[in-house]
Amino acid sequence: MHSTAYIIRFTIVMTVIVAFVLALMVSGLKGIHTENEEVYNKKGILSAVSEQLGKDVNVMSNKEVQEIFGSKIEQKVVNAKGEELSADQIKVATGGAAAKAEDIDLAKEAKKPVDQRLLPIYVFKGNDNKNYNILYVRGKGLWDEIWGYVAMSEDWNTIAGEAFDHKGETPGLGAEIKENKAWYNQFTGKKLYDNTGNFKSVSVVKGGVKDAQHQVDAIAGATITSNGVDEMLERGIKYYEPYMQKVKKQEIKNQ
Amino acid sequence: MGDIINIFIKSAFIENMALSYFLGMCSFLAVSKSVKTALGLGLAVIFVQGLTIPMNWLIDYYLLGENGIFGIDLTFLRFIIFISTIAALVQLVEMVVEKVSPSLYNSLGIFLPLITVNCAILGASLFMITKEYNFAQSVSFGLGGGVGWALAIVAIAGIREKMSYSIIPAPLRGLGMAFILTGIMGIAFMGLMGIDPAAFK
Amino acid sequence: MAEVQELTKKEPSSFSFGKAERKLITDPINDNNPVTVQILGVCSALAVTTLLTKAIVMGIAVTLVTAFSNMFTAMLRDYIPKSIRMIVQLVIIAFLVTVVELILKAVNYPIWKELSVFIGLIITNCILMGRLEAFAMSNKPWRSFLDGIGNGLGYSVILIIVAVVRELFGKGSLLDYKIIGPTSEYVLNTNQISWLSWYATNNLAILSPAAMFIVAIIIWVQRSRNRKLIDIS
Repeated sequence: MHSTAYIIRFTIVMTVIVAFVLALMVSGLKGIHTENEEVYNKKGILSAVSEQLGKDVNVMSNKEVQEIFGSKIEQKVVNAKGEELSADQIKVATGGAAAKAEDIDLAKEAKKPVDQRLLPIYVFKGNDNKNYNILYVRGKGLWDEIWGYVAMSEDWNTIAGEAFDHKGETPGLGAEIKENKAWYNQFTGKKLYDNTGNFKSVSVVKGGVKDAQHQVDAIAGATITSNGVDEMLERGIKYYEPYMQKVKKQEIKNQ
Repeated sequence: MGDIINIFIKSAFIENMALSYFLGMCSFLAVSKSVKTALGLGLAVIFVQGLTIPMNWLIDYYLLGENGIFGIDLTFLRFIIFISTIAALVQLVEMVVEKVSPSLYNSLGIFLPLITVNCAILGASLFMITKEYNFAQSVSFGLGGGVGWALAIVAIAGIREKMSYSIIPAPLRGLGMAFILTGIMGIAFMGLMGIDPAAFK
Repeated sequence: MAEVQELTKKEPSSFSFGKAERKLITDPINDNNPVTVQILGVCSALAVTTLLTKAIVMGIAVTLVTAFSNMFTAMLRDYIPKSIRMIVQLVIIAFLVTVVELILKAVNYPIWKELSVFIGLIITNCILMGRLEAFAMSNKPWRSFLDGIGNGLGYSVILIIVAVVRELFGKGSLLDYKIIGPTSEYVLNTNQISWLSWYATNNLAILSPAAMFIVAIIIWVQRSRNRKLIDIS
């Protein structure tokens, strides 16, 4: 039988060794971990314009992603009033945590009141020399949060691509929003505004699409997640509306 | 308040630890042969889960997090600390129960050591982190998860008791049938996914 | 089990790899499989088997952790105080799991993200504690290491079988390569050869109860072939 002193000594030695080795590993791998996370998020953004890339985002190396992101993407941040923010303004709004759209903690932003929220826009220069504006939307699925990137064509009306992601939807049901290409590709080509110029968003409906311009089919068996996507798109894109209106007016003036 | 009730109902029925995440299956399949023992284990799980989840929340927030007393991010120690807390707490509970109520110890006691390695407990602790609950929510999540797990094991034990009178192909007897039953119950519980949690607010 | 005990009596030289050692590895793959016979480590067998890649990664992770935790425990078994044995074993396991997690996060971030809490749940995978108690506490490090590898492989085999069935029937693909079912869905590589294109993917296979049914079928097949495993109670 071991004495109490031995037990205490054993515990302390073990704790110190374990904590030391782990701390060493964590600090050693930290650089790689942050880069991986960054690339993962960037892949999420780029998959909204995957049609333009000519290559599956998921098989790209870290370097390729960083390169495309650096050379073809221009980052902007706007607020709900439609004003574009400068790097200094972003710093003030995030308490010094970020100066660019990619560094903003989007989960934190989602908790702020709408009028203080920062909205990132990634402008992607496609091979066809057109600009695709990638907007960010966030909402709630069945279990947890869902979010997505929606690429808008130059007319600020037609959806050119999209990518959704989720924190913990059911595989085979809600998780299809991310995995089922046939499902999310339905959004491509849909219009946000009706013929009279009113904002209508794209809704996810059950039982067959009736309005080919503004509706897509829901996922069978995942009603709540589908409703979540519907709600997220309508609310999320609406935040960008003031900015979109402003840009459109600007374009008309320039012509 | 509505939020807390919502989480309780969600974790007990809709996100049932045993039947929708299939956690804690080892003891779930081994101990669900009779309703009586299943109930004993179920109660022990409610008890331990209700204690450990809030406890782990406190430890995670005040010791490991960036806002804690050390002021540095120690979250890489999460697994070790969580499992140690669970093991220590289980042992503590065992000792206290033995001293205070020998009769409860006799009915619960043998299951307590089993609970340390019950994935439902550690799983709930880790889910509590990924779901970013606050303290009150984590209490309700812990209790709800425990109740849901207990409910599931008692239900399965009831079915298995009845099944012992049925004619089953020999190779499927026992374990094989338990798997199929749990699967079918899992599908049944999927029906609850259609409930909109917001309805309880 | 009796055979294993008999083998341990001989105490062979430290790093030999003879028939007895080979048996330590092959036995858990079939006759004494941790999942289907010992009912250990079922939880994660269900959650991570929707895709073959996930199952393979999980299998490797569990095999590594079982092998090394067995080895470390066997090395330390004379020094571990009996009264805090459980916690010490859990700390060893949790330490190794954290190491595996950190490495996986560096090597393949998307898979790490997908497996999320299930990496952490390796700690409570009963295979680990079960093997530490039943084998490593009374055996030499090298033999314990082999026993760990064997049990890890036994677990991986079940995981991989379940994952193959689920991914093939649920998504019509294997390792993300489309195999059966209609093309131009799910994966981007639409110009891959696809046969049996009339096959409509069965969503039930992706849902977690399907894993239960598949394990039950594996048990059924295994026990019909090996009658001595049949539950007589």
